[in-house]
Amino acid sequence: MSRRVYLDHNASTPVHPDVVAAMLPYFQERFGNPSSVHAFGREAREGMEVARERMSDFLRVGKEEVIFTSGGTESDNLAVKGVALARGGGHIVTSQIEHHAVLRACQFLEGQGFEVTYLPVDGDGLLNPDDVRRAIRPDTILVTIMHANSEVGTIQPVEAIGPMVRERGIPFHVDAVQTFGKVPVDLARFGIDLLSFSSHKIYGPKGVAGLYIRKGTKMVAVQHGGEHERRRRAGTENVAGIVGFGKAVEIRGREMEAEAARLTGLRHRFWAGVSASVPEVRLNGHPTRRLPGTLNMCFRHVESESVVLGLDLKGVAVSAGSACTSGSVEPSYVLVAMGVPVDWAMGSVRASLGRGTTEADIDYVLEVLSPLVRRIRELSPASVA
Amino acid sequence: MNYSQILIDHFRRPRNAGMMRHPDGVGEESFDGCGDLARFYLRVVDGRVTEVRFQTYGCGPTIAASSAGTELASGRPVTELLTLGEAEITEAVDGLPAERAHAAQVVAGALRAAARDSLTRRGSPSQAKESEHV
Repeated sequence: MSRRVYLDHNASTPVHPDVVAAMLPYFQERFGNPSSVHAFGREAREGMEVARERMSDFLRVGKEEVIFTSGGTESDNLAVKGVALARGGGHIVTSQIEHHAVLRACQFLEGQGFEVTYLPVDGDGLLNPDDVRRAIRPDTILVTIMHANSEVGTIQPVEAIGPMVRERGIPFHVDAVQTFGKVPVDLARFGIDLLSFSSHKIYGPKGVAGLYIRKGTKMVAVQHGGEHERRRRAGTENVAGIVGFGKAVEIRGREMEAEAARLTGLRHRFWAGVSASVPEVRLNGHPTRRLPGTLNMCFRHVESESVVLGLDLKGVAVSAGSACTSGSVEPSYVLVAMGVPVDWAMGSVRASLGRGTTEADIDYVLEVLSPLVRRIRELSPASVA
Repeated sequence: MNYSQILIDHFRRPRNAGMMRHPDGVGEESFDGCGDLARFYLRVVDGRVTEVRFQTYGCGPTIAASSAGTELASGRPVTELLTLGEAEITEAVDGLPAERAHAAQVVAGALRAAARDSLTRRGSPSQAKESEHV
């Protein structure tokens, strides 16, 4: 076995060679602290500010509205806690299928006396904007909704939610970690006040992300120290990482549209092949409002980790919807919220395609997947029950 | 997750998989934590296990441990299986990560149950008849 096919781009992506090249000088030549006033510091700051400009150009916002953080989780935490703690109390609206970075930040705030409404989604994983409207109360201080779910890929109607939330003068945070650089995000039209976005999902390095904070948004810092990032986020910036992130965004700006179309085609090819060759399989997520390269499927009477292991042994990397950790497995909370029956949800597998994925890769996976699922089913008592 | 070569081999090429017609003993064990389920069928001649088959729903390690469990049980006196422990199953797949320890639990439990069932049937022929349709 020598063929390797990576279909886990929603987890992380390989760093683009041009990104690596852009970063290299910032490890040994331009290594200064961007807060230092001398030439070494100025060089580092310059690199960082070029990256910030690329972010702001890409998002079509002001440079001063973009700050850098250490990852999507930090961006989400800063957005949710930063806005909430600036108010001191009140009500937050979110959904049941947010990333844990948002869900657990909300749970933390509940412990501090805030109230949180976790809105349900429909069978396609889609939130109803009317539910958001109905959930808003006079004391609502924040609405936080993800743009696309990392597991199933459903893209939320943030364009309908945002303007309605803004009309009521409530800050609107969007976790766009899975959509940034993959599908267009129109901040002004969507009425977004805070946007989390990450580098390593778009062929940049890990350990760096961004948060857009619309000018005038009231929030406090959650990490205290120096006066970095306009006092929003203390700590010496990850300059090389930020430079790499800037380069990754520049490349995405050129490639995004064509790549989205290409990945959509590959995803259709993949699903058509699976649904034609494997019985008792279902597609999870919205049929059209979804991330171009994300395919989430449930194989009935199959435990997802056995498919992941079987594919891994064939050189194919996908991820399991249900993870068996510490001796307990729970079906994905996202699939449960979507109402997927447990005997299906336990067999969910996510394949997320990326810029390196080819038609030949998909055909190879199709070739090995069908016999694998058949073999695992033959072993299962459930399939003969 | 790092698995031993022996475990991987059992997962790739499970031994003695599938159901058995008219077994002398059948036992099941499930693990509530994750829904894994193993079912073992025994053929017993003169108190000794002559054939073992399994059907398992679960993650890779549980499937592999089931396969290894059939090899372990085959040829042994059925009474010996009554006290079969997890450690023996774990050893048969050359170790399990702590998060997958349940694989050995499920398999050892199901084999013990199959042994109990076979001994019960031996003492009660009517039960054996009823269970033939498993």
